[in-house]
Amino acid sequence: MADNIIETTGLTRSYGDICALKPLDLAVPEGEWLSVMGHSGSGKSTLMNLVGGLDRPSGGSLKVGREDLLALSEDELARFRREFVGIIFQQHHLIPYLTAVENVMMAQYFHSVPDEAEARTALERVGLGHRLSNRPGELSGGEQQRVCIARAIINSPKLLLGDEPTGNLDHKSTIMVMELLKELRAEERFTIVMVTHNQEVAAWGDRTIYLDDGVLVREERMNS
Amino acid sequence: MVAMKLFPHVLSWCLILLILLRGFSGRRLIVVSVGTAGFVLGVAGAVFLYNSFPGNLLFGIIKSVLGVSFALLWGVSVAAVYRCTARNETLLRGERFNKTSLPAGVVAAVAGMVAGAESVCKLLGGNDTTVATVLLVVAAGVMALVVRTVEKWLTASFTVSPSGMLSSVVALLLFSASSILRLDLFSPLSMKVMKGVHDFVHQSMESILIPDHLFVKPIVWKYIGFLFGKEVGFWGGIVIWFTPVLLIALAVGSRRLPSVAHIRLGAQRRTLLAGALRNQRLLLVLPLFSLVIFAAAAYQSSFPSVEYWDPKPLPVTASQSGEILIPKKGEIDLEDGKLHKYLFKQGGREARFFVLRNQEGQLTVDLDACAICKPDGYGQAEGSVICYYCKTLIPLETVGKPGGCNPVPVAFTVKGDSVVIDGMTLINSWGATVQATTRVKEGGK
Repeated sequence: MADNIIETTGLTRSYGDICALKPLDLAVPEGEWLSVMGHSGSGKSTLMNLVGGLDRPSGGSLKVGREDLLALSEDELARFRREFVGIIFQQHHLIPYLTAVENVMMAQYFHSVPDEAEARTALERVGLGHRLSNRPGELSGGEQQRVCIARAIINSPKLLLGDEPTGNLDHKSTIMVMELLKELRAEERFTIVMVTHNQEVAAWGDRTIYLDDGVLVREERMNS
Repeated sequence: MVAMKLFPHVLSWCLILLILLRGFSGRRLIVVSVGTAGFVLGVAGAVFLYNSFPGNLLFGIIKSVLGVSFALLWGVSVAAVYRCTARNETLLRGERFNKTSLPAGVVAAVAGMVAGAESVCKLLGGNDTTVATVLLVVAAGVMALVVRTVEKWLTASFTVSPSGMLSSVVALLLFSASSILRLDLFSPLSMKVMKGVHDFVHQSMESILIPDHLFVKPIVWKYIGFLFGKEVGFWGGIVIWFTPVLLIALAVGSRRLPSVAHIRLGAQRRTLLAGALRNQRLLLVLPLFSLVIFAAAAYQSSFPSVEYWDPKPLPVTASQSGEILIPKKGEIDLEDGKLHKYLFKQGGREARFFVLRNQEGQLTVDLDACAICKPDGYGQAEGSVICYYCKTLIPLETVGKPGGCNPVPVAFTVKGDSVVIDGMTLINSWGATVQATTRVKEGGK
């Protein structure tokens, strides 16, 4: 049985009087693809931000890998994000005046040192070998999301977080991105936590949890 | 006032200790205790030597140690450059060096002794130095404890290479010495370069059997004379002064990065590379810091914070018999140990000279110029006179003796209560030596 890469006990997050995440106990084994579903305001993104070290919990315990995220200083949290986590956003957040390869190299720069050859290889792996010198504005939505995937995996994260990565894509591009993620996961053996509204996308994972008003209400294991 | 005088020396001591603490990070207690003991020993030894052997012995010893340290730095810098180009270079030797007790103790002791001796040199010769000396020792001890605390706050990634440590310690010792005229190393170095260039040109001429002063035309001398100038000495000195630190910076900067090609995982490969690059950048801090300190030492050497006694020459005239009479006592006391300058003019010619009582208690009369340099004159500092042109220090014991950069002695007699100098002899002496020297310097002869 694989070790848990994420372990939460009574994890909560409040914003003033609003409790976005009510005490949550969750364990995610290493290598699992976990889909998180729920309607708007259910606490999906809050959970993802906490697990990714982008936000700090209000209470409970949160362990990711071997790190107790509540005990980390800001610098240590930045190192954790840099070395442990890759994130794919719905809105891509690519730098518009940099080319595809430069966008990937930017992630390398903040991690350690840029390596153009490695960045090119990463883009070739996601099928963008012919679009290396194009800027985001010259790429389709699906292509931009694939640049995001290359950027997210370039630093070999143990945990890949997706915040509705296919939310802006058409069906064909969605399938392409999902297949790509499946392929990369098989090669790199990272854990995926993916927030989605789309049942079809969630079905690509090993397990789906459902949040409602900050509470884990249901859990569903997918057939392989 | 004393605190202000000692501030650069105490600051240098603190920085030396800080660098040694980080350099010998595994031997902090040894560095602090042995270094402080060395400082106290240096102070005590310097005071003892100064009182037992008045004169230049103490300064000679310190200057020799500084000279040897500088030569050692040259050796280390060349070795560092050689090692950084070697194929199978490992850093283990340096890392082992930093963790062993004996080098830590020896380096801390020597650095402490030299720093202590240099600091107390600033006080020697003054009035009531005992209290100031005790305060200096106490301040050094207290600062050692403060520095030990401060060092703990420095980031752990700030590591020190042995060559960087040596360069900064030597730089700080030289900086400390540069404010004390008799310990300064840079000015004599420039002078040596100037003399070396002069001798080289002269000997080259001799070797091809051309007696240069007779056969070379004045216009040629105009260009050759440039080589004998102060600027050539200065810039030559600068090159020698800065080269070892630049070589060390070059060696540290061009250290080979670890081989990472065999690491399959890109992120891991880049992390290792980034760590090595960061480490290399931090290792460069000390060589670059040393460059700044060397520059400060050279600057301080050119503009030493020393108060010279440099009186305005008083005009004197000759009697009908052609004799210049200067009363020993009167408005000016010739035997007060200070340098007294005079200007004698006769028939459109002039001569500048000074009267001084040397350390043996005898009066001496000398031209305000030497036979080598341009006649920029002399000033008086602690225990010596200094040639303004070449910054050479002439101990008071040797003033009145001919040769080298010494002021040219002038024959005189003492009649009753006056010093008597023959005006014509004085004018001729000035003309024969000083004006001739000027022509050579300005490309004349």
